[in-house]
Amino acid sequence: MAERYDLIVVGAGPAGLSAAIYAARARLKTLVLDESVPGGQVKTTHKVSNYPGFPEDVKGSDLAKAFALQAERFGAKIRRAVEITGHELAGATKRFELDEEEQVEAPAVIVATGAKPRDLGVPGESKFKGRGISYCATCDGAYFEGKDIHVVGGGNSAVEESLFLTQFARSVTIIHQFDHFQAEAATVEEALKNPKIKVIWDSEPREFIGEKGLDALRIENVKTHETRVLKTDGVFVFIGYVPRADLVKDVVPLNQWGYVETAEDMSTPTPGLYVAGDLRSKRFRQITTAVADGTIAALAAQKYVKDHRPA
Amino acid sequence: MSANVKEITQADYQREVLASGEPVVLDFFSTECPPCEALAPKFEAVADQFAGRARFLKIFRQGNRDLAAQLGVTGSPTLIFFKAGQEVGERLGGEDIKRTAIKAQVESMLS
Repeated sequence: MAERYDLIVVGAGPAGLSAAIYAARARLKTLVLDESVPGGQVKTTHKVSNYPGFPEDVKGSDLAKAFALQAERFGAKIRRAVEITGHELAGATKRFELDEEEQVEAPAVIVATGAKPRDLGVPGESKFKGRGISYCATCDGAYFEGKDIHVVGGGNSAVEESLFLTQFARSVTIIHQFDHFQAEAATVEEALKNPKIKVIWDSEPREFIGEKGLDALRIENVKTHETRVLKTDGVFVFIGYVPRADLVKDVVPLNQWGYVETAEDMSTPTPGLYVAGDLRSKRFRQITTAVADGTIAALAAQKYVKDHRPA
Repeated sequence: MSANVKEITQADYQREVLASGEPVVLDFFSTECPPCEALAPKFEAVADQFAGRARFLKIFRQGNRDLAAQLGVTGSPTLIFFKAGQEVGERLGGEDIKRTAIKAQVESMLS
């Protein structure tokens, strides 16, 4: 038989865990599901400098753990490394099958599955994933001690993680498609001052080359269309994110980029189904905006659950 | 850790992996690696399911750099599948390794 909750939150990133904190404090019986460990993208961010309440930089993994502990302190149950193998979200009772063996259900669900790192989509990328190409600097930086590596991208993640990688690598060359970074000014200044960091502007990777492992990448200057081959020991890719909408794509409308349109209270056209955090269609995706979304979704879901409780 | 998962070092590689009578799943893990933490319970659950039929080994990358380099492993976690001393199938890596994906690869090694 299915175990019943008042609220099931899918995704234990900042949005999902904020929702869990509010829901648990409102005394909703709350379950949080995550296919990984709590923290979402924050847990693999080496440091966070812009989250209020921390006058010094905080490690992303520490912030992630703190979010989870706070939710658990108020009674939210967090299920780690659980795989959703079946789901039914359209009806009044929302149901999930977990790891092909367990059923849970609730009248309200907040989907906060966020986004995952975007692939470049160029030849050789899938062949060399884990054999020279990486998407997580905290996980894999230590593999490249004393090596000459490349980073693709120019937003906050790319520039921040390049700085982190200078702890290990002998040189970090950033390849960016524009002639300036999109990252925060403070981060950009620090990177441009770092003697280990070089930048190749106006360029994009076109191909990853190697026999068993990655040896080189071919890049193209997008202005001159000149191509060249750079020898490399490893490449880290930080070119943004794609939404993880698999769970909801059949029940709620997605916009042209695959994000979910919600009302201001995070509700969707399906009663009892809310979407919060990076998965939502919105202009800015930050930890702070995810936290705000999660809060709002939990407050709205709380009212929904109370109004729909059997008398 | 599950009794069905054993940690090895590169000195054991020949005996434990290449000379194994059963198919082997080898997990390269690191510290400061949330995706590795996330994989551990899934890896153990699948190991328990295939107890006696396949071997589930893990190896700490930082302590076994030479073997990681020899196998061309540059990311954690990385799962490598071996049958009769030969690497088979796709390597699995990163944050999105699903329990069902590990199971499917082990089942195909057993069939």
